[in-house]
Amino acid sequence: MVRRTSASSGVGVVARYALALVLVTLALLISLALQHSFGNPFWFFFSVAVILSTWFGRTGPGWLSVVGSTMAVMYYFTPPIRSFAVTPSDLPYFVTFVACEVGATRLISWRRHTEDALRQARDELEVRVGERTVELKNLNEALLKQMDEQRRTEATLQATQSELARAARITTIGELTASIAHEVNQPLAAVVANADACVAWLSREHPDLAEARAAAERATQGATRASEVIARIRSLITKATPESSRVQINRVIEQTTALAEGQAAKNNVVIKFELSPDLPAVLGDSIQLQQVILNLVVNGIEAMTSVTDRPKLLILCTDPEGKDQIRVSVRDSGIGLNEEVMLRLFEPFFTTRAKGMGMGLSISRSIIEAHGGRLWAESNGSSGATFQFTLPTEDRPHV
Amino acid sequence: MKEQDPIVFVIDDDRMIRDGLQSLIRSVGLRVEAFASAQDFLGTKRPDTPACLVLDVRMPGLSGLDLQLKLRDAGIPIPVIFITGHGDIPMSVRAMKEGAHEFLTKPVRGQDLLDAVQKALASDRELRQERREANEIRARFESLTPREKEVLELVVAGLLNKQIADQLRMSELTVKTHRAHVMEKTQAESLAHLVRMSEKLKTGTRK
Repeated sequence: MVRRTSASSGVGVVARYALALVLVTLALLISLALQHSFGNPFWFFFSVAVILSTWFGRTGPGWLSVVGSTMAVMYYFTPPIRSFAVTPSDLPYFVTFVACEVGATRLISWRRHTEDALRQARDELEVRVGERTVELKNLNEALLKQMDEQRRTEATLQATQSELARAARITTIGELTASIAHEVNQPLAAVVANADACVAWLSREHPDLAEARAAAERATQGATRASEVIARIRSLITKATPESSRVQINRVIEQTTALAEGQAAKNNVVIKFELSPDLPAVLGDSIQLQQVILNLVVNGIEAMTSVTDRPKLLILCTDPEGKDQIRVSVRDSGIGLNEEVMLRLFEPFFTTRAKGMGMGLSISRSIIEAHGGRLWAESNGSSGATFQFTLPTEDRPHV
Repeated sequence: MKEQDPIVFVIDDDRMIRDGLQSLIRSVGLRVEAFASAQDFLGTKRPDTPACLVLDVRMPGLSGLDLQLKLRDAGIPIPVIFITGHGDIPMSVRAMKEGAHEFLTKPVRGQDLLDAVQKALASDRELRQERREANEIRARFESLTPREKEVLELVVAGLLNKQIADQLRMSELTVKTHRAHVMEKTQAESLAHLVRMSEKLKTGTRK
């Protein structure tokens, strides 16, 4: 494209016509100089001038060289010499010369044209290939960027999800503050009572060392129990990144339910365990599983607050399910689930409680599904509901 | 009725706390019996001796407040010292209204509990003494004939013999005889003493 523009520029055009004139003049001079030794060589030299003019100067200069040559031949080489007239006997000869010159310029012009067209096509192709290459490169870069972005989005999404799960945990713990305070205060009360008793036994007129020792040992036990409770709560609050490890679900259930025991006692709810003794371990994040269980237990207790005509009983049950799964169920004798509630139970922000956030069950379900299990609810007929979930055992790989 | 050693009952579902409180109270030489639940306590026979109850408010099954009401309804007057992990106001108000002797929050300082126990035992001892006296007085008053009781009522109300005679349509002399019997049977040393005893009896029955 660049070359074509320069070829058709003003200077280029003048130069090309000048070249044609120079070539014709040169052919004339050589022909005149060689006229006497070689007969009539103008045929050859003018033909060369026309061919070269057409080749290098294209169509216009080609025609100029043909006209120039014809004039020169008419003037210098056809009788009468030094006149533009042509004798009739020489006319066929002269016309043949002109025809040859015209033929030569047309032929060369056509060749040149084809060549130009080819070159242009090649150049265009080259340019287009270059353009396509750049385009492809850009596309590739954009794609890479997109993939990178998607990876980042996925990472952010996962982080957000575990943050949300953590927020829900903290909310649940917030609802259980009274219960947890009781859970911590209880062993501390034991520490104080036993430490005071220890001092009292030592301050007697005859110190009773055996009694003092027993009291001191109980104080130590109480302090250990308090620190265990605190560690359990701290782990529920601080850790946000899920980790996979071997989890004994029965242990998780016992530990977690302890946090809600105060809440249960306050509402006169009796918690019963029917835990299958030889359950295989599951692979999962124990904190998240604790969260699910805590959530189901708290929901169960809440569902029974208004119950007065029957015992408030919450039963936690574990069973093997098939060959490679376990099932955990939490059964309450509360108000139960009507059809409308049942349909919307696992929707985010759906709640039947005044102060609930409505995220508990929705998050619990996504936690269980992320562990390769299933979480669902069933109505117990006349009273209460059962929430159950399954988890694949350790031997079965995660979905 | 012979006064026996006082006894402290501890009811708490938390074994470590129960053992600690029991040990603490035992260390000052008091008799202690500990129970894990209100039901267990109700199921045992209690000796007739000054006693008090150290009771955890929040327990599974029968709560501390439930037990307090049950004891009151059953007419078992025993001072209750409540221990609670969360001294929420409505609960303490309710407990105090029902006659709780003391309301302590967990963790309880040993000395506070022992002081409360001593005060509760002293109060129970006093109450038992009063009840015993009231019973004696009641027995004496019960020995009066219906006529003597009528005379007693009016004497205590501050009427003169003549007025009593008019009201009961009897001679003044008969009133005097009845009045002498009343003074004798109730072992009253003076009219003022008689009035005091009769007041005590009345408040005693009202309680």
